Amino acid sequence: MIYIGAEEIISPLGTNAEVNFSALKADVSGISLMPGAGFNHTDLHLAKIKDLDPAQSFEKLIVTIMNSLSERIDNSIIRSDRTLVILSSTKGGLYDDIQDPFRAVNEILISGFQLAHVPVVISNACISGVLAINTAGNMIKAGLYEHVIVIGCDVVTDFVVYGFQSLFAISNQPCMPFDQNRTGVTLGEACSAVLVSNTTSVFKQKPYSLLTGTSANDANHISGPSRTGEGLYRSVKRTLEKNAVQAEEIDFISAHGTGTLYNDEMESIAMDRLGLTAVPLNSFKGYFGHTLGAAGVLETAVCLQMMRHSTLIKSRGFTDPGTSVPLHIVTETKSAPLKTILKTASGFGGGNASLLIRE
Amino acid sequence: MKNFITTYCHISGDTCSLNGKVLATLDTSSEDGWLKQLYRYSRQTYPKFYKMDMLSQIGYLASGFIKSNHVTELSEYADDEIALVFANRFSSAESDIRFQKSYQEQKAPSPAMFVYTLPNIVMGEIAIANKWYGENMFAVLPKFDADWYVNYSQILLQADAKAVLGGWINISEEKPEAFVFLVEAAESGVEFSTDNLHSLSGID
Amino acid sequence: MDSLKEDLKKQIIAQLNLEDVQVEDIDDEALLFDADGLGLDSIDALELIVLLEKYYSIQVTKPEEGKEAFRSINSMAEYIRKRKAESVL
Repeated sequence: MIYIGAEEIISPLGTNAEVNFSALKADVSGISLMPGAGFNHTDLHLAKIKDLDPAQSFEKLIVTIMNSLSERIDNSIIRSDRTLVILSSTKGGLYDDIQDPFRAVNEILISGFQLAHVPVVISNACISGVLAINTAGNMIKAGLYEHVIVIGCDVVTDFVVYGFQSLFAISNQPCMPFDQNRTGVTLGEACSAVLVSNTTSVFKQKPYSLLTGTSANDANHISGPSRTGEGLYRSVKRTLEKNAVQAEEIDFISAHGTGTLYNDEMESIAMDRLGLTAVPLNSFKGYFGHTLGAAGVLETAVCLQMMRHSTLIKSRGFTDPGTSVPLHIVTETKSAPLKTILKTASGFGGGNASLLIRE
Repeated sequence: MKNFITTYCHISGDTCSLNGKVLATLDTSSEDGWLKQLYRYSRQTYPKFYKMDMLSQIGYLASGFIKSNHVTELSEYADDEIALVFANRFSSAESDIRFQKSYQEQKAPSPAMFVYTLPNIVMGEIAIANKWYGENMFAVLPKFDADWYVNYSQILLQADAKAVLGGWINISEEKPEAFVFLVEAAESGVEFSTDNLHSLSGID
Repeated sequence: MDSLKEDLKKQIIAQLNLEDVQVEDIDDEALLFDADGLGLDSIDALELIVLLEKYYSIQVTKPEEGKEAFRSINSMAEYIRKRKAESVL
C-alpha cells in the first residue's frame, strides 16, 4: 500500500493547509484585480501571494514549505537515503536565473536539509504535479525509495503573464471554469507539498491511500487540447482499470478546469466518454487561479483536506452550464462522505495525467 | 525477455551519429544552419520542423533517425506502447531567453515562441509527428543520470509500455548535446543497464 | 504588382518561419489556413496578430476579428487598408 498525506499549502489564501481550506469553505477567492500587471500595463486578474518579494521567491517558498512539512511528519526521514524530493514546476526560479532555473533551489535544498539525493525536477507543463505524485508512488512501489516528498511550486512572473496574454488566453474576469461565459484562465502562484510513503507511522495525521495512475499524450497539438479528449480519456480509463476502480465508486472529480473555452469543453467530452458525467466535479482554479506546475500537487492537497473534513467544495465561478456535454458541477459547498477521489490534469505539450486517492 | 538498447543517436554541435557510426557532419560552407542541414539529410517533409525550437528540432530529428534505421517498423507497437522519457539540465532556457527578448526588446511577446517555453514540448512534437499516445516524462536533472532513466523506464516497461524512447537533449550556448535511445524487449542489442547507458551516452 | 501584398508575403514568411516557402508560392487568393494553402494553425494566427501590430501598428484585440481578415493575402491586404483608413482623421 502507498500512502499520501501531510499536505501543506501556501497560496494567496493562507500559509497552511487548514487556513486555505477554511477560506475555500467560506467561498473566499485568492484572485484580485492587479492594476498594470499585464503587458503594456493593462490591468488583469491574478492570484498573487501578498507581500511575496519576487527575488528568490521560488526558492523561499520551497524552503518555507519544507519547514512546515517537517512539522507534519517524522522529520528524521528527510535526511534518509531512502527519501527522495521531487519538485514539480514549469518555470522554477526563472525570475532570478533564466539560464539555469533550478540550480539555486537544488543547492538550497541539499545544503539546508541535508538531503541524501539530488532532488528530481519534473517539468511537464500543467500535468507536472499529478505526474510527480504518480512517479513518487511508482518509485516507492518499485522499492527505489520508501518516502518521497513532492513539492509543487510556480510563481507569477511577467514572462508567464505576457505569454498567456499573447495567446489571448487570459480571462477578463476571475476565471469561470465550465461556465457558459468563461473567457480564459486567471494565473496564480502557490506552493504545495505532500508526503508519499509506504509507512503510515511517518505521518502525524492520518494518511490516505494513493492509487497511482497513468499519463497519456493527445498526439494532437502542442498548445491546444484535443477536441475528442483522447489523451484524458485514455489516461483516466487506464488509471481506473489498473486500480480496478469502477466509475460508480468515484465520489468526486477534481478536474483541471482552466476556464478556457476549449479545455473545459474537451474535459466534458472525455468525462462523457468515460461515463463520469454524473460524478460531482469541480475546478479549484476559481480560488487559486491556474498555478501551472503547482496545480496538480495543490489540488491533490485540497482533495485530501476535503476528505478529512468530509466536505465538497463548490466550483467557484460557475453559474450556467457551458460545455456541450453537461457535467455534474458542484454548485454548493456541503458535507458529503468522500471515499474515492479522481484527480486529473491536462496541459501544453498534449499531456494528460490522473490519479486516485482513497480513504 | 530482457530489455535492450536497440538503437541510439547522438547529435553534437557538428556531428550526428547513429549506433556510434557517423551519419552526417556539419558543412561549414553551407548557408543552412546545422539542424536544417540534418533535416535535409533526413529527407523528411514536415514543414512544422521550421517552427520548432531547437529542443524540439533535435528531438524530432533524432527520433526520426532512430525510426528509419530500426530493424522493424516501430508502427508494429500499438499507438500507446512507446513511452517518452526525456531530461536535460537547462529546461527550455534557450527558448525562454528568446521569448523574453520578444517582449523586452521587440516589445511584442511572441505566441509562437511562448509555446516552446516548456521543456516537455519536444515530447509533444514527437508524439504528434508519430501519433503516439503513450506516457511522457520530462525531468530536469543537474547532469545526465543513467540511474534515473533506467529506474523510471523499468517502471514504465513493467506497466503498459513495450518500448521507451529516452532522450537527453541539452542546449548550452546554442550548441546541442543530444543522446536519444530506444529501449525494448529484444533478442539483441546492448543490455539496458546503468553502466551500459552511461557509457553509450558518451557524456561525462 | 501590389506592393502591400508583396510585403505581406515576405513578412509572413519571416514571422512564421516558413523557410521552404517563396513569395511566388503564395497565391493572393489561396486560403492561408487550409492544408492546400499555407496550412497555418491557431498559433500562426496569433503570430499574424503580432505581425499586424509590428509592421502596421494595427491592434487586434479579439482573435475572432483576425479570423476573417486572415483568410487570404487579399483579405489581409483589404483589412490593413480598411484599418489604416479608419485611423486617418
